[in-house]
Amino acid sequence: MQEFDVVVVGGGAAGLRAAIAAKQAGAKVALLSKVHPLRTNTALAQGGINAPLGADDSPEAYAGDILAAGDGLCDPAVVQSFALAAADAVMWLERMGTPFNRGADGRFDRRRFGSNSRARSLYVDDRTGHVVMQVLYEQFQRAGIPLFADWFVTSLVIDSARCVGVTALGLRSGTMDGFAARAVILATGGFTRMYLPSTVSMGTTGDGQNLAYQAGVPLMNLEMVQFHPLVYPGGNALMISEAVLAEGGQIVAGGQPIANLAGATRDKICMAIQQAARDGAAVALDLTMIGGQRLRARFPQTVELLRTVAGLDATKDSIPIRPVAHRPVGGIETTIAGQTPMHGLFACGECACNGLNGAGRLAGNILTEAVVFGARAGEAAAAYAKAASAPSFPAERLEEEKKRLEALVSTDKCEDTAGHIHAELGALMDRNAGAIRDAAGLQAARDRIHALKERYARLRVRNQSAIYNYDLVAYLELGSMLNLAEALVVAAAARKESRGAHRRSDFPARDDRTGISHTVVTMVQGAPQADTRAVVAL
Amino acid sequence: MQAKFSVYRKEPGAHSKPGRSTYTVELADDATVMDALLKIRDEQDPTLGFRGSCLHGYCGDCTVRVNGKAAFSCTARVAPLAAKGGEIAVEPIRNMPVVKDLISDWDAFLWEKIDSTKPWMEPKDADGAAEPQIDDKLMARVRQAMSCNYCGLCDEGCTVLPVDFKFVGPAALTKASRFLFDPRDQATAERLRILERPKGMWDCVHCFEASEHCPREIAPTERIVEMRDEAFKRGITNEKVARHHLSFAASVKRSGWLDEGRLAIESEGLTNVSGLMKLLPTAAKAIARGKAPIPYLHPKRPGADRIARIIEKAEAKEK
Ligand code: SF4
Repeated sequence: MQEFDVVVVGGGAAGLRAAIAAKQAGAKVALLSKVHPLRTNTALAQGGINAPLGADDSPEAYAGDILAAGDGLCDPAVVQSFALAAADAVMWLERMGTPFNRGADGRFDRRRFGSNSRARSLYVDDRTGHVVMQVLYEQFQRAGIPLFADWFVTSLVIDSARCVGVTALGLRSGTMDGFAARAVILATGGFTRMYLPSTVSMGTTGDGQNLAYQAGVPLMNLEMVQFHPLVYPGGNALMISEAVLAEGGQIVAGGQPIANLAGATRDKICMAIQQAARDGAAVALDLTMIGGQRLRARFPQTVELLRTVAGLDATKDSIPIRPVAHRPVGGIETTIAGQTPMHGLFACGECACNGLNGAGRLAGNILTEAVVFGARAGEAAAAYAKAASAPSFPAERLEEEKKRLEALVSTDKCEDTAGHIHAELGALMDRNAGAIRDAAGLQAARDRIHALKERYARLRVRNQSAIYNYDLVAYLELGSMLNLAEALVVAAAARKESRGAHRRSDFPARDDRTGISHTVVTMVQGAPQADTRAVVAL
Repeated sequence: MQAKFSVYRKEPGAHSKPGRSTYTVELADDATVMDALLKIRDEQDPTLGFRGSCLHGYCGDCTVRVNGKAAFSCTARVAPLAAKGGEIAVEPIRNMPVVKDLISDWDAFLWEKIDSTKPWMEPKDADGAAEPQIDDKLMARVRQAMSCNYCGLCDEGCTVLPVDFKFVGPAALTKASRFLFDPRDQATAERLRILERPKGMWDCVHCFEASEHCPREIAPTERIVEMRDEAFKRGITNEKVARHHLSFAASVKRSGWLDEGRLAIESEGLTNVSGLMKLLPTAAKAIARGKAPIPYLHPKRPGADRIARIIEKAEAKEK
């Protein structure tokens, strides 16, 4: 058993930033991550990181764009505070050595993309997330914070309605250990691996959301899932940054450019592509007008991956695309400081939902959110830890958890597999809870998920070896995805309108009479229960 | 499409004997090697160990050897390999310890080596609020080094690591080089001092294998050379370095090009017996691979006399 003031779960941008902030606030911190921080899904964020730094820009203008993208569901106080903090948080990254692209005058070059009304996305070629992640990891190392990489957190330890630590499995050693903590921060990223195809890494399976959900913490606005419009669907689904549109790339349907997409939100672009595809047109992305040289200079990684994965020459060929599940907008309900309704439990980054994004996220905001709210959650958790009593980690919990995992392993014959259940879940979510939904499809999805959960309950882990037991990891991740998929479908059925990222063909209009509230889903006696939470007006 | 795989297997523990398992899998036409491995683990052999994360060629976690060539299993397509017929061999990357099956020991061969180089910026101005103006040409060099996805392929190609695992290796040196031209860093001198120690940057024999192996065109060998130049400029140098440079100049002056064997021997010092012994395996390997001729029997290249005259002129000018 190990003991810390603050334990951070998840090694992506938000988790690293939270750990650094908590350490700077004087806490004894440790970070656990099921993959090494340099292998996290943060590496996949390409396009840029927003900050209102331009002479023509202001926190007010930025806040206005966030509110517009959130389509009436943002918490205005959170938006305002975030817009004011963004410039400093991004400048901190600059100070710590992020090599943002610069113009001839040596100042930041900024891209305008998505529905941003200004050019406010700083960027690092088409590898912004990959490089920001490295800078954060550098500073994490500089702070001397102990890292437990390849450690999978299996449960939250709750004592008298307070989170007092976690149990975790060391994948390399094959041993379980307890991590007692005065405060735990979940920063486990998104969950869209429950969709197939999906733009995200293999491990983006919502483990943190599921831990919170099972502990009775509400999940907010789960029905809001962003689809990425520009994805080559072959192979493992290759996403192309929307920044290509700002540089002159065009979406063409049946050979003709789709009009009126300049400056449109992600949702609108997805709708337009979906509509064209339904009308029978082949939809493709044409990057040829950007020019070969410029394309290779500005999007080197995109050009390279299209060549290796799709066998396409982006400077000449048009690229078949379709919208693919990308990022959740909703997640674990938290305050602006990352505090969840459970004592001692915090959450930040993509796994959390604090009211900033409402029904849709402004393009270029994901990394800004990770650093702004990561730092806040780290500070808040450190402050909480300072005031809180020592954690009383019940000794028997570790033994219980060991027994639970051991009981999962069996060599009895079983035809079913985690991969088959995941494949069915992924296709189901893409079809029935995709960019456009309806009541019948959502009900059918709920029934099917119920059946998949029954199959899952009979499933066993067949690998008995303790060391790097990825059979066990895949099993646990599938459990997270099934629980969250069920909660998501319940949330989507409860919102009987179309708003932001949530589109219902049976309720195509926004309904401001009933719609201006958050959807919250709580696990009650093992089943999801939907409720609403009023949106706080300023 | 049906494909047959022969996969390297090894149980954890130093004494376990490696072996192979073969699997026949039914795959979609656009399947990758990662898809095949996932399917094998799911349907046929839950004990198979391999890594992967991003699935899009960004993260470097799933680097393996496919039919003897290093590849990211998540972007390597099966179809062209299957079309050739026969088994597709999947093995861990070379030159590094294996924990289990295809799972290499990233801790030992990469993360801990990187950790040893002070791989973070010590900012000169941590709290400043104003937007600094920096020439993008400098930032472009930083971006180039930071496009590294820690795939380990430069380390895999390295000719020093197989004979001296304690060498910090090109991947960690590439990481360290990311700070070299960054005007915001104040730890560059300190980092160069760390790297001038034995097993650091001067142990690189610049065989250029690292640059040939890097899929990102980062050219790790060139990054190492830049770092040495910078160290030399700052007067951060040790005896071995000085010998290295003198030998380098003498070799080029004599034959018009570099006698790598002589360079290695003279850099160690002709009286340093243990240092020289250490070179033997590398030298034997290099000679076997046709990478280095026998020291001191270096033939002159055409025009060597003119090169010698150029050097003499430069030497005269320096005096
Ligand atoms: S420098 Fe190149 S080869 Fe070496 S780890 Fe980085 S990307 Fe891989």
